[in-house]
Amino acid sequence: MAQYSAQLDDVFVALADPTRRGVIRLLGRGPTSVGDLAREFPMTLPSFMKHLRTLESSGLIHTAKSGRVRTCVLDRERLAVVDGWLAEQRRIWEARTDRLEHLLADPKEHQP
Amino acid sequence: MNPELDLTLQRLIRAPRAAVWSAWTDPARFEKWWLPAPTLCRVDRLEVRPGGALVTRLSDDGTEFVPHLDACFLVVDELERIVFTNAIDSAWRPANPAPVPMTAEITMADHPDGTDYRVVVRHGDPGARAHHEKLGFEEGWGSVTEQLARIAESQGAR
Repeated sequence: MAQYSAQLDDVFVALADPTRRGVIRLLGRGPTSVGDLAREFPMTLPSFMKHLRTLESSGLIHTAKSGRVRTCVLDRERLAVVDGWLAEQRRIWEARTDRLEHLLADPKEHQP
Repeated sequence: MNPELDLTLQRLIRAPRAAVWSAWTDPARFEKWWLPAPTLCRVDRLEVRPGGALVTRLSDDGTEFVPHLDACFLVVDELERIVFTNAIDSAWRPANPAPVPMTAEITMADHPDGTDYRVVVRHGDPGARAHHEKLGFEEGWGSVTEQLARIAESQGAR
């Protein structure tokens, strides 16, 4: 549970940057090489690589090297974690209220 | 109420308001329902009064308890309303809680069959967390999520 929120933290931080969101958008179309991605953004390669590393450590993308080309792939499951964030909070509160109800259904618990 | 960030739920609890109130204010009862089994909850501080502390720990193995919630009550109207937030911790220090800051408002009203129980949880913008990192976040989170959802959906068929 606590570990889950740490992961979510990394994902939110990773997505809080227009360049990194742009990378996610591009990778939504399919796996792309670092070179092809970098061409889309007006910055030096080292700066761009730093963004990729942030994305990779958040688990939003994975990279694999084949020969001289490094290819980036979007992790859709990790992205779904963000989409499901509010739904997840709702589930937590719904379940919490279920348990409260369940506890109070026991007549013993009616004694304030 | 911002549907992008907030959630509401309403429930009829078939127990008198005083019993619901006591499940919220008595640590021994609170521990029984606050977290889902098999996770165990331990209350460190449950001071249900404005400015009072709400500090809980959790354990997945029953031996080691780790911090869970470190929050502060804002409004307490006996038998009627409880408001707490994790954006301020139990020492009243501004906090940056994971996954996002939130304020929970719980209201209880009499109902012929028990208690009309409502919860409103107002969340901070998840993107706001990243301001610490000096990263710009010029778009609203909602539009970003929408964008991501569209990408995910359009690609989902692959």
